[in-house]
Amino acid sequence: MNMRTRAFGLAAVCLAIVVAGMDAAGQGRGRGQAGPPQTARQAAPIDLTGTWVSVVTEDWRWRMATPPKGDVASVPVSAEGRKAAQGWDLAADTAGGNQCKAFGVGGIMRQPGRLRISWQDDETLKLEFDAGTQTRLLNFDRSKQAPAEKSWQGFSLAQWEGPGVGRGASAATDVRVTGGGILSRGVPGGGGQGLRGGPPPRQQAEINSGGDLRIVTTNFREGYLRKNGVPYSEQATMTEYIHRLPTHPNGDSWLQVITMIDDPKYLNGTFYTSTNFRLEPDGSKFAPSGCKTDPPLPVKNAK
Amino acid sequence: MNLKVTRSGIVTAWLLVLLGAAPAFAQINFVGEWTGRYHEDQPDRVPGEEPGDFSGVPLNEAARLFGDSWDVARHSVLEHQCAPYTLPYMFFGPNQFRIWQEHHQDTQELVAIRMHLGTYQQERTIWMDGRAHPPEYAPHTYMGFSTGVWNGDTLTITTTHIKAGYFRRTGIPASDRITVVEHWIRHGNVLSQVTIATDPVYLTEPYIRSQEFVLMDRGNTNWLYNCEYVMEVPKDKNEVPHYLPGQNPWIGEFSAKHAMPEGGVRGGAETLLPEWKPGAKPAPARPGANGGFRPEDQPQRLAPGEVKSVHVQGNVHMIVGAGANIAVQVGEDGVLVVDTGNAGTSDKVLAAIKELAPGKEIRWVINTGMDANHTGGNELISKAGRTVNGNIAAIVAHENTAARMIKAGVADAARPFNTYFEASRDFPFNGEPIVLYHDDASSDDTGTMVMFRRSDVIAAGDLFGTDGYPVIDLANGGSIDGTIAGLNRLLGLTVPSKMLEEGGTYVIPGHGRISDEHDVAMYRDMLVIIRDRIKNMVEKKMTLEQVKAARPTLDYDGRYGSDAGPWTTAMFIEAIYREMSGSTAAGSSQRSAR
Repeated sequence: MNMRTRAFGLAAVCLAIVVAGMDAAGQGRGRGQAGPPQTARQAAPIDLTGTWVSVVTEDWRWRMATPPKGDVASVPVSAEGRKAAQGWDLAADTAGGNQCKAFGVGGIMRQPGRLRISWQDDETLKLEFDAGTQTRLLNFDRSKQAPAEKSWQGFSLAQWEGPGVGRGASAATDVRVTGGGILSRGVPGGGGQGLRGGPPPRQQAEINSGGDLRIVTTNFREGYLRKNGVPYSEQATMTEYIHRLPTHPNGDSWLQVITMIDDPKYLNGTFYTSTNFRLEPDGSKFAPSGCKTDPPLPVKNAK
Repeated sequence: MNLKVTRSGIVTAWLLVLLGAAPAFAQINFVGEWTGRYHEDQPDRVPGEEPGDFSGVPLNEAARLFGDSWDVARHSVLEHQCAPYTLPYMFFGPNQFRIWQEHHQDTQELVAIRMHLGTYQQERTIWMDGRAHPPEYAPHTYMGFSTGVWNGDTLTITTTHIKAGYFRRTGIPASDRITVVEHWIRHGNVLSQVTIATDPVYLTEPYIRSQEFVLMDRGNTNWLYNCEYVMEVPKDKNEVPHYLPGQNPWIGEFSAKHAMPEGGVRGGAETLLPEWKPGAKPAPARPGANGGFRPEDQPQRLAPGEVKSVHVQGNVHMIVGAGANIAVQVGEDGVLVVDTGNAGTSDKVLAAIKELAPGKEIRWVINTGMDANHTGGNELISKAGRTVNGNIAAIVAHENTAARMIKAGVADAARPFNTYFEASRDFPFNGEPIVLYHDDASSDDTGTMVMFRRSDVIAAGDLFGTDGYPVIDLANGGSIDGTIAGLNRLLGLTVPSKMLEEGGTYVIPGHGRISDEHDVAMYRDMLVIIRDRIKNMVEKKMTLEQVKAARPTLDYDGRYGSDAGPWTTAMFIEAIYREMSGSTAAGSSQRSAR
């Protein structure tokens, strides 16, 4: 056996070790197993179902009350968007049957309210909002086509993302911020299991808290980003990422919704917001209401 | 078989191994330079908030009082001019930051994620190696001490040891007991940061916020923060601007100007939920809302009876757990000990000293005051030492200390005999100047501050503490005005390491954690504010009971107050009341030794 042959022989041995290791790891994660394709529900790396309440710690003055007309602070509106916001007429909206414009897909996440998430079927996640009694359907079936008619909530295509996606992960119990319980084993430095900076083992619990849901929504009617008529147009595209955060040490479970709206008509650039919801023990406080926007309070002179 | 192989073969083999291993190391990478997007609360975060806006914060009544007393001119106080915002606020203001990673050279394991924040030029380390958080007596910083763990592709960070600061620029306070949990999430070039702050002093439940940052294609060059604190107008440099209760003219302006319901802008957990309406009752407490943290993610606490030492700076160490804090200076000449702790702890204290200075003699003992928890070990510790002349270690103190101890019947062997009567005394030891400053009217009239001038450490005695209101012993010459004057003198001696009000001169308090100028300044501010409130109430002819009922210390009670023990909040209020009313006769505020 010459040197070259021996070298390739060693390389082949190493490759075999690597492949065997990958296969073993893959099996541990459910990868490589034969069987029918998973449904979206089966493939969910995180469990989003339940009733969640919006906890309004940001943009309070624009979300919990109706701000004055023309108040577009924080929103990267274009000149046309600013003009449209100045033209907001709550009475005309109501008279014209457009009172749900502030409850459309671009604004509904920012409305104070409760969000109930459930599976309508194996390929459709249903988001129900008690504010304005709105429903969004998130379609995982990518062959599904948008309906001809635009709606307040538009047409959403969804997909799971994250380290566990496609590996057979399924929603299970979530994890505290300790990193999947590895640290809680009390092994100094993580016991060489990756906590010294290397990768933690991909335990089910970690996958569960590390994945997210990506949603792209189009085909919606023009609506409002805020209650006071700051607009988004039908030309806009909305991309969202929904995360279920690792359970807080006090036991709270938080849902985080990152929203990016691009609107060539009314915005000068991508509009980023992130909205936080806390899991409720049950759905008893879910109280559907109509699309009602209170008029702004009168602005008083400062003292 | 001949195991020799060619170099190319080895390289090929290792390459294959590494390629195989690569996916396992594919954790989300946050390295890069990031800048903020301010599409939420932009008027608050960039131009700056308006006074009286507490909306969206689950704060308590103490925080409201603190905020109502806030005068933005407080930023003009010398010690606060260049002070950065602390972690709970830092990422909300205008900000850009650089992230890089530190790997172990041999294993390439991730040891730490490091950050440089352009705003206020802050450096931050997030330890990824599984280490525990430091002890509770360790110094606090603006960025705190952070550890991180991965939860899938989410990086979860827990931070403690953060200095007292603000949740908002207009005076919503954040205490130094805060714990911040962050979740970092990356999607393409967008970094989302969720922060959940738990503050048992000022919040009724965790305060969650989130914001977005985008990766900068071209790095900004503005990474410095050139702040220089200066007196800009002639005035008392120790003035602490604040509003007395009910006298802040700006309360109500925000809600009027922006057409907001007044009750809502006052904040509170109940105002954060969809069902909130003006006039709603405060939210019922959520049991356990501020708890649940693992011990490893919290400051380590001393076990009962445990005595430990920690290096402070230069030649100076601090011994904790033996009563009052003990400062120990170690060098060529031997050992100098400031205070000796409680009686009965001397064996442990001496063992700690021996560990710090093996083979070295204790030459000097200094008492910063007369209290038993500062002097209880005098006899045993001085006897364990030797001066160069072969005598037991000399005990140094102000003559008032000796006089008060004689009056209290303390045995000769436990009393200082090497006394001074002047305002200050200095002597060299271990190659550095030791300067003693007498406080003639702080807790009492026996106080001494000890400055280690080369090590840049000051042992402040009971003039300054981080775990309670200062004792004001009127019967033994103490006073609130004297305490404030002493703290101002201490602030005149401390110098931060940079203009940014951190580190530099370290202060060992009589009780509590290692501190620096910022910590002393915040404590001084508190005493000035409380003193002024009570003085104002005395001027209004309010009785002591009325003053107590008005709760002039409410905004600090959660951090410093006590309903039991040798020095209660009621005793503190009474002492100030008597001093302000000119009635210094000892009432119930006369304290027993702590």
